[in-house]
Order: sequence, then C-alpha cells, then structure tokens
Amino acid sequence: MSRVLLFLAFFSFFGLSVTHAQTRQVTGTVKDKKDGQPLVGVSVTVAGTKNGASTDTNGTFKISMPTNAAVLTFTYIGYKTKNVSVTNETKLSVTLDEDANNLQEVTVNVGYGIVRKKDLTGAVGSVGADVIAAAPVSSALEAIQGRVAGINISSSEGSPDAQINVRVRGGGSITGDNSPLYIVDGFPVTSIADIPPQDIESIDVLKDASSTAIYGSRGANGVILVTTKNSKDGKTNITYNVFGGIRKLAKKLDVLSASDYVHWQYERALLDGTPTDYTQYFGNYQDIDLYDNVAENDWQDLVFGRTGTTFNQNLSITGGSDKTKYSLSHSFVTDKAIMQMSDFKRQNINFKLNHRLYDALTLDFGFRYADTKTNGGGANEQNEKSSADSRLKYAILYPSFPVPGLTASTDTNDEFNLYNPLVAISDNDQYVHRKTYNINGAATYEIIDNLKLRSEVGYDGFRNDQDRFYGITTYYVKNLADYPNLPTLNSMNTTRNSFRNTNTLNYNFSKILGKSHNLNILLGQEFIKTEQNTLTTEVHGFPKTFGFEQTRVLTTQGKASIIDNNFLPDDKLFSFFGRANYDYKGKYLLSATFRADGSSKFSAENHWGYFPSVSAGWRISQEDFMNGTKSWLTDLKLRGSYGAAGNNNIPPGQITQSFQNSTTTWINGFNNYWAASKIMANPDLKWETTITRNIGLDFALFNSKVTGTIDAYLNKTKDLLILFPVGGTGYDAQYRNLGQTQNKGLEFSVNWNAIKEKNFDLTVNANISFNRNKVISLGSVKNINGTSGWASTEIGVDYLVEEGASIGRIYGYKSAGRYEVSDFTGYNATSGKWILKPGVVDATAFVGTVRPGTMKIEDISGDGKIDLSDRSIIGNTNPLNTGGFSLNSRIYNFDLGAYFNWSYGNDVYNANKIEYTSTSKYASRNLISIMESGQRWTNLRADGTISNDPAELSAMNANTTLWSPYTRTFVLSDWALEDGSFLRLSTLTLGYTLPEKISRKLKMKKLRFYASAYNVWLLTNYTGFDPEVSTRRNTPLTPGVDYSAYPRSKSYLFGLNVNF
Amino acid sequence: MKKVIYTLFVIAGITFVSSCKKTLDAPTKSSLDESVIFSTPSLAEGSIAGVLQSFGETNSYRGRFLVFYGLNNDTEVYNTLKSVDDDKAKLSNYNCNVNNSQMNTTDNAWAKFYEGIERANLAIRGIRTYGNIESNPAMAQILGEILTLRAVIYNDLIKGWGDVPARFEPITTATAYLPRSDRDVIYKQLLADLNEAAGYLPWPGENTTTARVERVNKAFAKGLRARLALAAGGYAQRLDGTVKLSSDPELSHDKMYAIAKKECLDIINSGKLRLLGFEEVFRKLNEETGAAGLESMWEIPFSDGRGRVIFDLGVRHIKTDQYTGQNKGGTDGPNPIMLYEYDNDDVRRDVTVVPYEWDGGDGTKGAIQVPSSLGRLYFGKYRYEWMKRRVTATNDDGLNWMYMRYADVVLMAAEAINDLDGPAAAAPYLKMIRDRAFPTAPNKVTAFMATATASKSAFFEAIVNERALEFTGEMLRKSDLIRWNLLGTKLAEAKTKLQQLENRQGKYAALPAKIYYRTAANGETVEIYGLKLGDTDAQGVALGYTSNKAWTMVTTGETVSYWNALYTKDPNLQQYWPIWQVFLDSSNGMLNNKPLNL
Repeated sequence: MSRVLLFLAFFSFFGLSVTHAQTRQVTGTVKDKKDGQPLVGVSVTVAGTKNGASTDTNGTFKISMPTNAAVLTFTYIGYKTKNVSVTNETKLSVTLDEDANNLQEVTVNVGYGIVRKKDLTGAVGSVGADVIAAAPVSSALEAIQGRVAGINISSSEGSPDAQINVRVRGGGSITGDNSPLYIVDGFPVTSIADIPPQDIESIDVLKDASSTAIYGSRGANGVILVTTKNSKDGKTNITYNVFGGIRKLAKKLDVLSASDYVHWQYERALLDGTPTDYTQYFGNYQDIDLYDNVAENDWQDLVFGRTGTTFNQNLSITGGSDKTKYSLSHSFVTDKAIMQMSDFKRQNINFKLNHRLYDALTLDFGFRYADTKTNGGGANEQNEKSSADSRLKYAILYPSFPVPGLTASTDTNDEFNLYNPLVAISDNDQYVHRKTYNINGAATYEIIDNLKLRSEVGYDGFRNDQDRFYGITTYYVKNLADYPNLPTLNSMNTTRNSFRNTNTLNYNFSKILGKSHNLNILLGQEFIKTEQNTLTTEVHGFPKTFGFEQTRVLTTQGKASIIDNNFLPDDKLFSFFGRANYDYKGKYLLSATFRADGSSKFSAENHWGYFPSVSAGWRISQEDFMNGTKSWLTDLKLRGSYGAAGNNNIPPGQITQSFQNSTTTWINGFNNYWAASKIMANPDLKWETTITRNIGLDFALFNSKVTGTIDAYLNKTKDLLILFPVGGTGYDAQYRNLGQTQNKGLEFSVNWNAIKEKNFDLTVNANISFNRNKVISLGSVKNINGTSGWASTEIGVDYLVEEGASIGRIYGYKSAGRYEVSDFTGYNATSGKWILKPGVVDATAFVGTVRPGTMKIEDISGDGKIDLSDRSIIGNTNPLNTGGFSLNSRIYNFDLGAYFNWSYGNDVYNANKIEYTSTSKYASRNLISIMESGQRWTNLRADGTISNDPAELSAMNANTTLWSPYTRTFVLSDWALEDGSFLRLSTLTLGYTLPEKISRKLKMKKLRFYASAYNVWLLTNYTGFDPEVSTRRNTPLTPGVDYSAYPRSKSYLFGLNVNF
Repeated sequence: MKKVIYTLFVIAGITFVSSCKKTLDAPTKSSLDESVIFSTPSLAEGSIAGVLQSFGETNSYRGRFLVFYGLNNDTEVYNTLKSVDDDKAKLSNYNCNVNNSQMNTTDNAWAKFYEGIERANLAIRGIRTYGNIESNPAMAQILGEILTLRAVIYNDLIKGWGDVPARFEPITTATAYLPRSDRDVIYKQLLADLNEAAGYLPWPGENTTTARVERVNKAFAKGLRARLALAAGGYAQRLDGTVKLSSDPELSHDKMYAIAKKECLDIINSGKLRLLGFEEVFRKLNEETGAAGLESMWEIPFSDGRGRVIFDLGVRHIKTDQYTGQNKGGTDGPNPIMLYEYDNDDVRRDVTVVPYEWDGGDGTKGAIQVPSSLGRLYFGKYRYEWMKRRVTATNDDGLNWMYMRYADVVLMAAEAINDLDGPAAAAPYLKMIRDRAFPTAPNKVTAFMATATASKSAFFEAIVNERALEFTGEMLRKSDLIRWNLLGTKLAEAKTKLQQLENRQGKYAALPAKIYYRTAANGETVEIYGLKLGDTDAQGVALGYTSNKAWTMVTTGETVSYWNALYTKDPNLQQYWPIWQVFLDSSNGMLNNKPLNL
C-alpha cells in the first residue's frame, strides 16, 4: 500500500501556476526552401511558452503571441528547426531547410511514451507505414516478415487467417507460449491479425529488457507496439487504396500415374500376402493394362487448384484543425482462397480523435472494430479430435480414378481409410466469425510546465464464434459421437473482455537542470482485468443428409449433447512502474526502468514480481577526439543494457485445486462428472524471469547515406513455467517453476541510400539475425518429450528437450537406406523367408518382414535389432540465421520495390513425405512420385509374381535408389527431415505515379498505379509444398512439422493509391 | 481546477487503497465449492462418474489393462504370442521391460488408475467432511460406491504392478512422491473400506440405483472383499522379490479365508443373486440388458462409444459384416489346450472357446464363420453377433466389462469353506456350478463330486480346475494361480500339454490331424468335426464335409514355437509388470523395479 501513498505524495509535490499576459496576432506562411512548396502541419511555437499553432493546407499559420515575446520556433519532422525573431511584423514568410540527417528525428514508441531514435539506449526495431503498406497482404505481421532484425516471423501454412508465429530473439520458455506481448495504441491484445496494415503508422519491436521491462511481467518474450494512424496536422486528407488480383496454388506434388499406382497396389497386395486386396478392387493382374489409359483426376487441382481472388480496399479521411485532429478509416478485405469452400472477409473501422480542450488539457479517443469471417475448415486444425481427419492427404493419396467398391461410397475399409477429397473437406467444414472492438479514451493534463498527467481508460471486446461441422466420414462422428454415423455440429462461442486503466505522470526536468542536462521521469500505474468465458454446444445425430449449412441453422433437428458455458477465472494485473531518461548534452545517455506487477495468477505470497532494468548510451561521434572522422562518420552510438522481464503466460486458476464439471460420453448413466482438473494445482508458482543483456552500436556513415545497427544479446530465462509431467501421482501434469534456458545472438541491420538524385533513387535495406538457443537446466527432469502426434500414436515421441541443447530438436531413427540382396545369405523357399547374414541388423520387429528392398534403419545401440533404443537426435528446427533485404528504387515517376526474406539452416520435419511414401497399415493408397516406378525398389516380375531370386532382384533394382514403400508402420527417419532453408521474394512491386500536373487536373494530390506480386519466387531444396511451415502447434515442443499444411499460393495484384 | 484534480486523485487513491486487498483475487468461476458438491447427493454422484471416467481413458482399462492383464496362463493367451520380441507379446510372456512401447506413456493405465484414486480420495474426503452420511443414506451410498471403486482400482494396481504406492488421502506437496508400499498396508485399508462400504450400500435391486449392474451394490462390495481377502491371504511375489505369504498376523491365511467365507455366505444367503444358464449369462452381457439381481454383480459401465471388450477379447470378424461395422476381435484368446479340457457334456466349452472367425461378405452382409486355427482361438463370451446393436465405431465397441459374477462368489465360498471346514461342507457350492455346467448329464456331476470330496486336497484340486473351466476369458486366472502359488507350475504344465497337443501325444494321441467342416444350412454358421477327444480322421472323412484343414498351431517359417512363446523368464519372478520408465523418471527417485530385478 505504501506504493500508492508514495504515488499520491508525488502529485501533491508539484504546484502549478498559470499566468496571463497581453497578446498580439501574427500570421504567415511556411515553405520548403528547396522547391517552394507550402509545408503543412509545421509546428509553430512561441519560444519559452507553450503557445503553439500549426500550418494549414496552404502552409499558413496564425498565432497569438505575447507582445513582449520575440522569437517563434518552427519545427517540422525531417526539417531543421528554425527560430525567427519577430519584432513588429504581423505577417511572416518562412522557409525551412530539409534536414539531411532526418533519421535522428525519427521517434520510437518505447511503451508509455516515445523517444527520439537517436536517444535510444535499448534494442528496438521499427518499421514504418511505407514498408508495412508495401506488401499486398491483409496481415501486418506478414508485411513486416524479414524486415526487422531479431524478430522471426513465419506463417504456419498458406490458409487465409493462418496463424503467424512470432519469436523475438528465440524464445525462453520450453512448454509455454513464446509469443511476444502485443500492444496496440497502449492496449494489450492477444493478436494483431485483425488490424489492417494500411491503418498502421508504425510497428516498434522492443527486444531487450531495458525496453521491455516497462511491461514487466509480460515483456520477457519481447513487446510489439503497434501505433495506428492519426491525423498528423489536422489537414483534411483523403486517401483511397485498393488492390485486387488473383492467387494460384504455388506448387503441387506429383503422384504416381494410374498405371504405376495399380502396379504398386498389386505388388503391395502380394507382399502383404493378401492378393484379394488387389483383385477385389482392380481385377486380375492380367488385365492391368486397362489402367494404362484411364482418365485421371488431379485431386490437388480439384481441391486446391481454383483461381483465388483477392480484393482489398482502404478509405481513410484525416483532418481537423489545430485543436482537433481526427482520422476515420474503413478497410475491406475479401479473399476467395485457392482451396474449395475456403474464403475470408474482413471489415475494419478505425476512428481516432484528438482534441485540445484547453492549452493544458488534451483528450484522445480511439475506436477500433474488426469483423472477420473465415469459411472453410482448412487442411488441419490444432484442436483436432484425431489426426486422421487431416485433409491434405486425401488430395494426394486418393486414387486418381474411380475404383468400384473403394471410392464409390462413403463406406470404406479400414486399411484404406480415405474418403473422396471433396467430401472430406465438406465433412470437416468450419465457419469462424470473430469480432473485436476496442474503445480507448485518454486525457492528458499538463499540470504545470513539463509535468504531464495522462490517464487512459480502455475496453477491449473479443467475440469468437466458431462452428465446426463433423460429417459422417469424420473420425469423431464414427467413434465418439453419441449417435454414430450421423452429422455433428460443435459450436464454440468465446467472449473475452478486458478493461484497462493506466495513469502516468511525466516530468521533464529541463527547467530545473539547465541546458546540458536532460532528465525525464515517468511514473505510472496500471490495472488490467480480463474476463473470459466459452460456451460450447454440441449437437449430435442430425439427419444423415444434412450438410454444414443445415446443421448450423436447424440445430433442433439434432440432439443436444454438450452445453457447457465455461468461465475462466479473471486474469488481473495491477502494476506500478517508472522510468527515468537522462542525458548529458545528448552525448551520455542513461535510462532506468522499474516495474512491479501483481498478477492474480499467483498466490498472495507470489503476486508481486519486480522487474528493473538499466541502459546506457554513449554518442562517441560527438566526442572531440572523433573530430577527425566527421567527414565520413556522421553518427556513432554505443548502447548497453541489462534488465529483467517476466512471464506469467499460464492459464489462470493454477493455484488452487478446484473441482471442474465436464461432460462425458464414455460412461453409461452419466453425462457429466465432477473431478479435479488433470493439471495439479501448485500454490508455489511464481514469475518466470528473463534477464537480458544487450550491447549495440548504431552508426551513420557518409552523411547518413549508410545507417545501421549491430546488436548482441544474451538472454537467460530462469524459473521457467513448465508444464511438468507428474503422471502416476493422480494428475497428468503440473505447472512448475524449474530450469533455465538461454538465448544469445547477433543482429545486424543496414540501410543504404545508394543513389539520391532528382529523378532516380535507390535504397537497399538488409538485416540478418543469428540466435542460439540452449537449455541450461531442467531441474530434476532428465528430458522433456514432445509428441507431434501427426500419425496418431504410430510414431510417439519425436522431439526431445535435453539440458545443454536447444529446444526444437527432432528425435528419431537414422535411415540406413534399404536392405540389399547382399545383406542376405539367401531365400528359404520352405519358410518363405529371406535369411539375413550374421551381423546385419534385423528390423523385423520394427518395420515388418525384412526382405531385399525393405527400409533399413541404423542400429545405433548395436544390439542387432531395431527398437526404441535406436533413436537419436536427427534434426534441429532452429535456423542458423534469418533475415531479409529489400531494394527500393524510383526512376522518374516509376517506383520499384523488391522485398526478400530468408531462413537458413533449419530442418523441416516432412511428415507428409513419410505418409506419402510408405504404406503403414493401409492398403490402396497412392504415393507421391518420389516413390514412382524406377525410384522405388521393386520385387514384381513382369509376369505378376514376386521375385525371390537374388540375382534377378539385384538386376531389377540396379537403377532404383529407394526402398520399397511397404512398411508396417510410419517411420520417422532422418530421410524425412529436409533442409528448410529458403530465400523468398515475397513482394515485387512496380508502380507509376501520375505527374502532378495531371493528377491536379483530376482533383487529386497524388495518383499511383501499381502491379504487385506476392510470393513470386522461392529458392529452396525442400521437396514439400513450402518450407515455411509448422502445423503441429498444440505444444511449443514440436515446431517445424509439415503435416497436412494448407498449400501456399502466389498472388498477382493490381492496385491504386489515391490522395485527395 | 487544481483542487478538482487533487480531489479526484484523493478519491482515486482511496479507492485503490480500499480495494487493493481484493484486487488480485481471482476465484475459479465454473466450479462449485467442495462443501456444496459433497453435501448434495445429486452433485456428489458426479464424482462417481469422475472416477469411472479414468477407467475409460484411452490407455486405462479401456485400451491397455483389460486387453493385456492376466496373460499368459494355462487358460488365456495373447494370440500373437509367437512374436516373442514384440512389445505386446512381451507384456504377456513374463519378459516385460520398463520401456515397453505399449505402456511407457504418461497416460498409461498406471497414471489413470492413480487419477481415479485421487478423484476417489478427494470425493471421500469431501463426503466425510460435508456429507452427513449418518443422516443421509443417499450420501452414504455414494461414499460406499466410491470406496468400492477405489478398492477396484487398487485390486488391479496390485495385480498389475505388485506393491504400489499407497495413496488414501488427496495429494499434498508432502506426498507428491511416494515409494512402493507393502501391499499388506493397502490390503488392510481396502478390507476395512469395503467392510464400511458394504454397510452403506443396498443389495442389488433394493433401490433404483442398484437396480442396474452398472452401479455398485452391497453384494459386489462383499464379493470384492472376499476376492481381496483371498489374495491377501495367498501367495505373491513380494517387495523383496520372493514369492511368499504375508507375514502380517492380521492377514494370516486363516483370517483371510474366514473373511472370504463370511462375505460369500452373506451374499449367497441373501438370495439377491442367482445363477443363470451359462450361455444366458454372456448373452445377457452382450445384449447389454444390465439388470441387477441376476448373475452379473458389477460391470464397468462403458458407454456405446467407449471400451474395447469385444474389440480385443471377442470373436474376431475379419471384415465388417452383418453383425459389426468394426472388423476387430481376437487380440487375446483361449490357450489351445482349453479346447480339450472340458468334458464333452460341459456346456461351457462352446460358449467359452470359439475355433472360428467371421470372414467374407461385402462389408454389410454375407459374412460366414470359417475355422481359425488351433493356435488362434477366441473367447466366445464376447461376441458382436450376440449384441442387439451393430457397432459402427472404428475404435470402440462399448460392451461393459463384467468385473464379477455370482459364480465367482459361489466358487470362492466353496474354496474358503473347504479350507476351513473341509470338503463336505464345501461340496454344495461346487455342485451348484457343476450342475449348471452339465444340464443334460447329472450323473457326471455326481461322479465328479464323489471324486472331488474325497479329501481336502482333492477338493482344492477340483476348485483349481473348475475355476479354469468357468472363468476362461474373464482374466481371473493369473491372479488365482499367483495366490495359490501355482503360476509357474501351471504354465509348465500348459507348455507340456501344448507340445503334446501339437504332436498328438499323451491324452491328445487319438485326436484327428485335421478338422472337417462345412457351412450349415443357414448359410452362416460353421459345423466342425474333429475338435473333441474321441473324434477321428476316419470318421471325419466319412462325414463328407466339404472342407478340411490341418489342425495345428505351427506355421511355416516360425522361429519360436507356440509352447515356447508362453513365457520367457521365470513367471514366478515376473508376476507383475514393472513400473514404466516415464513414471520412474518423474518419481524423484522414489520408485524402482527392484522386486522384479529390473
């Protein structure tokens, strides 16, 4: 409580006085010195007072100044500040010089305030509106992919509304979510996917603790601050941006030809000893040439091959007066995706109002609304009932021609277990309607000179309505529904509301300390409360003929099974924070922050976490001894920081063991049960803390032609909040604080204004980041297993976290190719078996009957057989480096932009490839052409018998390279891991701006046409659809799995930017 | 202005000061307090379902314990036992390791059993604290039911893993890690619990809850107490790894047999249960009638979409057909010698041992019975074709697991009374079972009883055999053999018999080499000749059946013969499974498998 009292005392310390004096009116115009164009929004202040005005659209201003004052100060971003002495004039004509070194005036949002970039002492990466809007995408995160060093952004798959993974400098948590904290206009939100890129003024990424510590408990994984646009100058400005175009599937996987498919089916049936598997569906082997010319369906084309269309428009109006500024924008996106039944629509409204009520009192108001509708179940889902329902495999493995008895009906045999690809997607259909709105109000009161009190109140509403249909071919309906084999509808309505109140007090000590010293102190207090509940209703037993639409609107036709309105405990956060920024002559900079957070997720003893940080900067270039380098070294600043940030990213309610009521369909006579959660409560939970150390260098060379930043960091996270397995105690797991992880890395970014001529300029921008993750300690635990589960239970543990190594390492077998004829002493015709030579590993127990051509696994344990002990670490999904570069050029009225991004050195776990190249227990499935005839081992003689003649088999397979696809199970070997390195030209844009003379005639300030292509070019050795993928995200332990990802598309667009 | 601001802040400050204490409280919302749940019978009943939910978890009773526990013995085997190094076979052939891929997962039966126990412990504490059981019989009945369910789980934990940690209170930080406890401690607690529970529970059919076998009744609590008493008073491989009787005087053989006798007689004398026809018992089970007061005493109440009883233990259907939309069955089956253990007039054989499977048809109709092989037989007690509904789920059949039936009580009574009072007193109970088994040959029963009652040991011998004939497929055999200290003996015996059977030696010498069969006039069932002692090849040929096949358990190219696949290590020293690696890893060093020398 003492904190509150202290805080109150701070207020009463400052007195204030307002004086009134005689005034007179001065008017004038402000122009650019170079081209004589009027400058709009120039800030004009009477030196030494708070009196100010700004220029209007014609560059004119009007200001009242005291008769005794003599100097007017003109400041404008990108221009040198000018002081003009006024004696008796009432009309002034002022010209401003462009500031070549304008970078230094760029400001950066650091949370609860902004600082000039040149005064920055922490590691912050920023992206401006021009870059964000340059990419023709609907999500801001996609737009800044590869643009900021130290932040790794990857989209999980190619679906509209796909989840985008963001990692700032790796991630400290092991089992927890490593997503950064998103703050939009001061308000913490869970996602920024619903904010249109065109509405964003800037995105600032806080990377080290000196900048994130101001967000205390939630800053450990970095903070992404989004500032939406508002009118800068109160001048009326109407902009209209629109683009539209088409999208096409970027890549397809080749599958076996019909003829090859039936030949393989025949061989498989013989190897399996069940020739009826073949004859039952495909006839006699003698007639196999019937399939040579059968008409084939390209299922990938039928499911994912349609031409998608995309349309995106944004209309924004900004304006006001020098007292009132507003901005209002509307965005509309509609996207017909490449997959059948899949589309996306979003509407946004964004309104901002800023009003200076009195000289000392400013009011801000903001309102955002987003309405997103996504149709289609996609190709996979995170909260799946069974991985058997993943949809991509149907388009690959389903026979390409109709097979009577196999593909004719929805009934299928267990050893095929596939349905028509189009039926599969309509039976797994989904509709998601998400509405988010955010209302923010703030009052800023300048109590006395340089002492500002700002009080913000905000409310954030989130509503997610998700209807998921399970048709009769789905695993869920077949196995778990109350009325088996009848359609089921699951609806989840999630409501989440957050309330926020933030009060900050900011004092600038310039009056007290004099010119050389600059000290700014911020004190603040914040309260955030989030309430959430989810209403789940599930209706089973719809009429068999019902599709998704009917079940949605005719729920009374089914039988209610689950109605569960589940309320989470409130999540409350009560905080105090402060920050001091000091500099001496802009040369020595010092910044310290402190935040105390109280979280309701912890018990009373552990409520509070304290997160301090310090940072310092030294502008070396301003030292006298650097005079000799002035000719080429424009600016050089060394920065260093040290601090702590926290993480409380666990579900609320982990402190006490409460009884939960859940529905059950497993027990006769009951439809619900009371039980303690499967997660054991832990009253001793406390904050996870990340200590970060950062050292950085900012430089500008050759009159700022080249600017850049280098950062090195070492982050250590301790007291990790880990979901610790406690099986055997009565619970499955318990959240515990244990272990320690480390991320260290290097980041470089450079910007080169290579050419800057009147009609030609060229800018090159590049960044690269290296991050190395390591688990230092797991406490008493030996290792933590990750199970991606794409093959249900067939593969088991496939990721392993161990001390001394990074997270994201894949655990499996090493491929040893295949059994060659030379591995056997020969074939025993009486037993029907091939006899292995002594010393050759026997994989029978693992892959099934061993014969020449069978997949071979390395016997790491050396015990002569293949079992679990032969697994080892076979891959790492962490990239060695990631980055991006861009080229921007203007030639006369043409502009050209090319944006590249890459990832290097990471492995991708190509689970698709395993499923599409081995039979496991299934019959009749197709294969991809990696396994086509001539590649795979074959045992089949032309006469339709299996060869067991060693010499003949060797001859038949002299040119084949792969093993036989016939295996008993799916096997994860290093063969399925592929280098996921890629270089992508994500955006290529060519634009043309109409000459001003013509656009003026059209009553426009500016008119630009452009053509743009997105995801146009990809350089990679990856054989799957796309190496930028991660589909098994239910646990953070299993990144980089490519299983049933929605394939990516390329898009080609035309657009228009108009300013009125 | 100034003053206004100050005033506002003072107000704001006071608000914070006064609300600060509660600011960070965030109680659970979608929950009720223990005091509410456990003082209201309709709510407390939900905690019974909570315990049963753990039974139904993927790798709990549903997918692991019921299919793998109890194998191999002289009556029941894992049907793919010849793949001796396969992890599933290793669960059955007394050669199981800590990292068995079937079991070594965090959601294994071991974990789910303790989950059920924790849920029971929480409920028991809640009801004892808030339930007012003295004045509230409904609440007392719930307590009795939960005490009984907890005893069910402990019974199977001890059977499965030997001496296991004893948890009878909700977990606390202090009890998060516990070592193996001597099973005597657990037995004593369970015997007391079941005694208490029986006091709270009504007899079958006495109220609406106990009208169904899916809910626990007094007879089951008593029957389970008798079963536990016999186990506690019998042999077992103990913590030190040796097989011996309990040294605890409270658990002496005599005291335990006295408990079993008393409880069994209580049940029999209550007249609340009765023996049905032998086939009727299992027809009713498969028809899912569920009425209490007949032979079944309690069943794990799997819903239609959960549980794998026929899926794993039933007669196999190779394809989906007119009786099932699920092509499963036959993971486990009878030991082949069981085909020849029954007297030709014993009606239990054809119900218990099925030498055919279903094949053919188009997936929805037309499947017929075809002979399987001598090495692949099925438990006929669980049959899709006896069910009233067609199973359509691909992974579960939903049949209840009959945990105990009246015949078990009757035979336990016979065993206990013989032990305490001699064969004459025990004879009527054995005769009840025998009479039912031979409805058409009462003279054979008389002759049998005369031999059995010759001496106490002869009677015991008869009980040992009778329990095999009666309960094959019900997975009681292994624990019976253990408590009698006959596990190794009977397995060795079975090994010899199997070898003799394959080679047509000893009592099997006259058995035909082939079986002769045809599809019956109904176009569905198979008629087989050659399965009975006394049948001959000559007669088989003479019958003119359409088909015949060699009746053998050897397959070409096999590396391990059937009889050698029965057990790998000494069964007596591997009486239970090890605690799996994942649980050793998370036990903070408290757990090990030293008793098994692993």
